[in-house]
Amino acid sequence: MKTWNKYKINQITKADFPEQLKKIKNCPERLFYRGEWDNKIFDKSLAIVGSRRITRYGQAVVEKFMPDLVADKITVISGFMYGIDSEAHRKCLELGGITVAVLGGGLDILTPSENDDLYTKILENGGLVISEYEADFKPTLWSFPQRNRIVSGLSTKGILVVEAGMKSGSLITARIGLEQKKMIYAVPGPINSLSSMGTNWLIKEKWAEILTDIESITKRKSVMVQEQLWDDNLPPLQKKIYNLLKTEPMSVDEICRKTGIRVTEINLAVTMMSLNNLVAEFNGKIGLTNV
Amino acid sequence: MLTKVSSVANLGLKAIEIEVEVNVAEKGFPGFGIVGLASKAVDEAKERVKTAIINSDIEFPTAKITVNLAPADIPKEGACYDLPMAVGILTSCGEINLPKNKSFFYGELSLDGSLRHTRGVFLLAFLAKEQGAKDIFVPRLCANEASVVEGLNVYPVDNLRQLIKHLRGEKYIEPLTPVKSEELLELLTPEFDFSEILGQESAKRALEIAAAGGHNIFMMGPPGSGKTMLSRALPGILPCLTEKESLEVTKIYSVTGNIPAGGSLIRQRPFRSPHHTTSLVGLIGGGSNPHPGEVSMAHRGVLFLDEFPEFLRGALEALRQPLEDGFVTISRAAGSIQFPAQFMLVAAANPCPCGYLGDEKKECKCNIHQIMNYQKKLSGPILDRIDLHLNVPSVDVNKLMLNSNQVNNCEKSPAIRERVAKARKVQQERFAKIKGVHSNSYMKNRHLNEFAQLTPAANLLLKQAVNKFALSARTYFRLIKVSRTIADLASSLDINDGHVAEALQYRIRTGE
Repeated sequence: MKTWNKYKINQITKADFPEQLKKIKNCPERLFYRGEWDNKIFDKSLAIVGSRRITRYGQAVVEKFMPDLVADKITVISGFMYGIDSEAHRKCLELGGITVAVLGGGLDILTPSENDDLYTKILENGGLVISEYEADFKPTLWSFPQRNRIVSGLSTKGILVVEAGMKSGSLITARIGLEQKKMIYAVPGPINSLSSMGTNWLIKEKWAEILTDIESITKRKSVMVQEQLWDDNLPPLQKKIYNLLKTEPMSVDEICRKTGIRVTEINLAVTMMSLNNLVAEFNGKIGLTNV
Repeated sequence: MLTKVSSVANLGLKAIEIEVEVNVAEKGFPGFGIVGLASKAVDEAKERVKTAIINSDIEFPTAKITVNLAPADIPKEGACYDLPMAVGILTSCGEINLPKNKSFFYGELSLDGSLRHTRGVFLLAFLAKEQGAKDIFVPRLCANEASVVEGLNVYPVDNLRQLIKHLRGEKYIEPLTPVKSEELLELLTPEFDFSEILGQESAKRALEIAAAGGHNIFMMGPPGSGKTMLSRALPGILPCLTEKESLEVTKIYSVTGNIPAGGSLIRQRPFRSPHHTTSLVGLIGGGSNPHPGEVSMAHRGVLFLDEFPEFLRGALEALRQPLEDGFVTISRAAGSIQFPAQFMLVAAANPCPCGYLGDEKKECKCNIHQIMNYQKKLSGPILDRIDLHLNVPSVDVNKLMLNSNQVNNCEKSPAIRERVAKARKVQQERFAKIKGVHSNSYMKNRHLNEFAQLTPAANLLLKQAVNKFALSARTYFRLIKVSRTIADLASSLDINDGHVAEALQYRIRTGE
């Protein structure tokens, strides 16, 4: 625990900032950081923002896009909060990518506290943890939106809004991004989903470009994931459930009702499928892992 | 003249014989004094006894009356010594004669001389039998409690006047005819039948497993999803109490005065649902003169804790010992007392303070800190002691309407109960020789090798799952126990991979 505070806190002044950050309005005079600062890591960088309350869909989106981003050596910048922020940092690190966290408080203040290990991992993987505040500054309500201008300002490839409710902090970041003339991408979601209202609104009002595949950012063909082979080797019931879940995640009860098969057998099949990584549970609903 | 009358005191669930010594002395200043660690209620007996005797048309002696409750170092509580005191005084004055056989007297007097409902009669009957007494005199309202003890003459007394006539040999009281306890055991109808609950197939199955193996169960879901209804329907699928179990439960109920007037044995499995503001002592038991709490009242039955995280932290943590051992030990300066507490815990909770986290229709209004604090209260050792964990999603009314023809296909409670009873029977035979284990949930880890052998395929599957879901050692053993129950429900001797796979659906999910 807390091995991250072995890393020294350094300072960098405005003169040494990456060019794109110097240009923004209210540019800070200096930044504090842990890790090895190198302006090169910001050459190809993307800010990923989104709801603190992540859904299964948000997770799936991050999981789907991250491999191509890392393969393209794009640095992922985010805000270190729970939800999409943490998910983006973690997924990026899992795949061996470089990620930068911009904190809403001082570098010695760990918020949220369960990200203790994440802090260390970011530094170990050659990433940076940045803050414009003194090390012991406690984050406040206003300091989070404040740091969003840095999250956005550091990126060269633009801002990706994964999930956002109306009136959310992610929309503030998108607005700041527009002011800084950054590219804004938004991932569309179901129109009845509260956590996609903000992103859908960004697309509808033409503030953001709709992002359905990551190629628009990486500008290269991603490898199409083939419908996998085991699909054919599945036992009939598992295949039935698999096909059922292709449309949307369901609870065990719903699967029962749709298939008309006894709950004991459904339970058995679902366990087998989750052991084989075909499905996973989120908030009581079973969903496919490769959406 | 000195008279000694036998009565009892209750210490926990143990009855102790008390000798009520009454001395009526002609010499000395007239008065009435009670010694022998008497509580306020016992001390006030003076006024009740005196008035009751006068109102039974007998002159109260103008003499120095001393009552000693022996042994003198055991605290005496309650109004049950009214009757023995009155009988002692009347005997000392020569108004009546005590029976030649050893007899016990017990009961609270009313000012008009009638006898009121008094708690603890069931224990008195057991002690009287142990002590070789033949006759007991108890209030009629609670005489039925004693009538299940064989080989005793239970005399139901309405009032003091009637008892005086009996002891004078003028008009005898008819003793109660003893009742065979197994005749009283029957099933009572629960509030809901399982077929009334629409949807929730997964939850119903989990409750069936829980009932069959006596497993503790934890349900999480938004308000209105049916957690409470499911729990209330649970008694309907539990097998009826055995004779032995019924006696154990009745003891506890008799001591706490929870047997209604005229009632005898407790026949239905207890279902206790204390409110979440219940104090630690209320839940676990205690007090300076220790009395059983809700966990003991739920002995051999169900303890339903709705809004689980809202309970006091201390009270929840104190549940650990009874959950693990099946009894509660309450230690006081005067000594420690054990109350049995083998109950099945059914806990229900919302996923967050407002209740709608993860709900499709309603937005959750809690901030992340509230949610984390709420769930922190849930996590930890107490959840680790619960075998079955399940999500109870809210049910879409429209979906139910469309499939209303399926409603008729819902299984009725008696059908499920039959399966449960069969599985319980298998377990009774299995654990016949092992003390303290009466169902799969109470198996100790050392029993697993003998009684819960997994087939190689099942073993492999479980090991895989342990790695995949990062399960703790305790969870691992709990899963085996649940698998054992699922196999029992399927009348299978071996535990195969199918049984384990189903058990895995009800594993603990925090931290995943």
